Amino acid sequence: MERWLMTRIDATAQRGFDRVLGAENVISDRARLRSYECDGLTGYRVIPALVLLPRTAEQVAAAVRVCAEHGITFVARGAGTGLSGGALPVADGVVISLQRLRRVLAVDPVDRLAVLEPGVTNLEITKAAAPYGLYYAPDPSSQQVCTIGGNVAENSGGAHCLKYGFTTNHVLALEVVLADGSVVTLGGDTTEQLGPDLRGVFLGSEGTLGIATKVTVRLLRTPEAVRTLLADFPSVAAAGEVVSDIIAGGIVPAAVEMMDTLAIEAAEAAVCAGYTLGVPAALVVELDGPAQECHNQFERVKAICEAHGCTRLHIAADAEERAAIWRGRKSAFAAVGRISPDYFVQDGVVPRTRLAEVLSRIGEMGEAVGLRVANVFHAGDGNLHPLVLYDASAGETARAEKLSAEIAELCVELGGSLSGEHGIGTDKACSMPKMFSEADLELMGRVRDAFDPGGLCNPGKLLPTPRLCGERPGKYRPHPLEAAGVIERL
Amino acid sequence: MTIATVLRPTSLAEAAAALADTTGSVRIVGAGTAADWAGSPEPADVVLSTTALTGVIVHNPGDMTVAVRAGTPLRELNAMLAVHGQRVASDAARVDLGATIGGLVATADAGPSALVYGCLRDLVIGATVMLADGTVARTGGHVIKNVAGYDLAKLVHGCHGTLALIAELVLRLHPLPGATSTVRLIGSLADSAEAARAVLASPLEPVACEWSNGALLVRLAGTPGALPARLATLLGSAARRLDAAEQEAAWAAHAALVAGPGSRPHVDRAVLRVGARPSRLPAVIAELTSELGATGVTAGLATGVGTVTLPADPDVVARAHQLVYGVGGSSMLRSRPPGCVAPAWGPAPSAIEVLRAVQAELDPRGRLGAGRFHPWM
Repeated sequence: MERWLMTRIDATAQRGFDRVLGAENVISDRARLRSYECDGLTGYRVIPALVLLPRTAEQVAAAVRVCAEHGITFVARGAGTGLSGGALPVADGVVISLQRLRRVLAVDPVDRLAVLEPGVTNLEITKAAAPYGLYYAPDPSSQQVCTIGGNVAENSGGAHCLKYGFTTNHVLALEVVLADGSVVTLGGDTTEQLGPDLRGVFLGSEGTLGIATKVTVRLLRTPEAVRTLLADFPSVAAAGEVVSDIIAGGIVPAAVEMMDTLAIEAAEAAVCAGYTLGVPAALVVELDGPAQECHNQFERVKAICEAHGCTRLHIAADAEERAAIWRGRKSAFAAVGRISPDYFVQDGVVPRTRLAEVLSRIGEMGEAVGLRVANVFHAGDGNLHPLVLYDASAGETARAEKLSAEIAELCVELGGSLSGEHGIGTDKACSMPKMFSEADLELMGRVRDAFDPGGLCNPGKLLPTPRLCGERPGKYRPHPLEAAGVIERL
Repeated sequence: MTIATVLRPTSLAEAAAALADTTGSVRIVGAGTAADWAGSPEPADVVLSTTALTGVIVHNPGDMTVAVRAGTPLRELNAMLAVHGQRVASDAARVDLGATIGGLVATADAGPSALVYGCLRDLVIGATVMLADGTVARTGGHVIKNVAGYDLAKLVHGCHGTLALIAELVLRLHPLPGATSTVRLIGSLADSAEAARAVLASPLEPVACEWSNGALLVRLAGTPGALPARLATLLGSAARRLDAAEQEAAWAAHAALVAGPGSRPHVDRAVLRVGARPSRLPAVIAELTSELGATGVTAGLATGVGTVTLPADPDVVARAHQLVYGVGGSSMLRSRPPGCVAPAWGPAPSAIEVLRAVQAELDPRGRLGAGRFHPWM
């Protein structure tokens, strides 16, 4: 589905970019432009008119001012690991890569914060903080390569966000280049606010409100103890009950992850992490905290697992065994390539208590269209990652894409969300009316206009547009949450 | 001056009508526990009270979420949730005075345990807001993990009655802790800051770490066990673990300082909320004390958030704002005597133009909360 189109940028604008960045940092060569044509969602590809490679925040601002002067749209890009097409270029616009802004500007062990340029990778933050016994909590699976700038844009989560929260809970302040090239600071040195929390509005805005050029994050002390177990269960329902009982027991685990038979098969084929082939469901439960507290709760979790017919309980004996368990879990996406030529990843969320229901419906939907769906998910917070397996060469793409979108929309019907951590981007923009009313979306549009009246920042992402999605059907249909009796229509 | 019409809607529809069917300026009020915070409101044509927009819409104990009407006092909500062993983990000082959940969000209020649980901005997962023309819009949802669309609940966190009416909120819940204990170490602010540093470097994960009334208070939460003993050992022989009654009294005294002397007649003091990097906060407070006569100090030695009580003198308050701004901090005036004209805010933040643009988009006629951000907008 490649749909690129070469459009020349106005020559004066091109000279403007050359002037502020140096011509060698402005890519216009078609072969090199191609490496920016997509992000982690490779089904969508657009070759941008130019790619800009600034080295400093000042250069980012200067480049954006050139864009503003000439009405050129721009798409900020970090490592390009996003899974929703949030960094998909615009054909007659520029991509501004933040990869060269990768300095750790400060690590302050006393105030327990770090100041970072946007191109610093997620894992580098923890590496810089580790000598002080500190770490950065959000840990998306792509943490070795994904950047903090991208994490800010997507409000990234990770396996440990059940206990520790998302990027938005850990960012204190942002330096942001707005669409007119002006530079502002959102947030501050503490959580005290001078008026509405614009920092929080920017977090997760998917590059549509500006470009973050400096990020101040909180660092946490490394927990004294970490305990991890891998448990097999005779059914997804039994594993789900374990999660419910843990939560009902007042325990907040650092992470609770579930994988089904297909996902386990794929992960084992890829990394041999010691998961049991053929079991219906496996749970990874991790607790952390002060040693005794952690130990007491871990014993209770073990008892809950056994009470629900756990068929194998493997407790990580050391850091190496823990790493193996996580390697299996974190490799699951890529590993699915071992058992299927192609796959789509979904990212819907359901209230945790509806996990068993949503999984059985996903199974039925897959069977109905003759496609397999592997499930890996953050069971503690109801964030699913169904992997729709298909074979493009067998002409299954359209069917798989449809199933994938239907799964996301099913999550909304069950009172959940289209996306837990991958973002809306290009991929799910047209599904937004399933989750939000026209008034909701219009309010988001107004906020976007306040930040970026010219619509230059990452156009076509997050909010549905008629160009992207077609005109919306005129006939009124009840909103899923309304039908479910969760909200009322005035 | 004309007398304002007071409207007290009892439902979403009535609240929308209250805005759509009226013209002129609107002041939104809740329980009134922070009526004298931020900029002084200008006289309004309509006073819209949220105190009848109350009650739980849906509580999902298994999902640990609750949807609630914004006029519900948090104290009452938490009493209801306690039956299920759950709570909204906010311990702002006003909660015990009857503050509504909507009012706490609108004023971005937070208590000592924000250190671990975050502020309300971290606990709100969805909201129903109403624009000045009565338009009802929703943001977020009913699940803890959700990145669909802009998180516009953040926009009303700290809006002080401007931009939109907060009508409903969806909150994530936490389990009630098995036990709470507090260790007290009497000492100066400077010495306590040193001790707090040692506590924070330890693996004990305190949920609050505050200096007030001449002592460091460190709160631990969790299953009862060896933690408090470890903490007492860490802080030395002068540290003492408080019994239940002492613990309650110590934190009540802390909350009383945060609340300040109130806006009673004959009181000529105003409360300033201060945020600065934790390492800078003790020096800022020392200067506010020695130069400007600050009293009633509370200092969050891990959060960097504190409160002081100052003479309600415009010049003193202006100097206090400048002093905090000078170390990169932020400050806002809270309760002060009636008629006090001290500036509520210090220098405007760099993003003030964005804030004005947001207001122009959401409330183009400037109906809501006029005066709250004087002189910024």
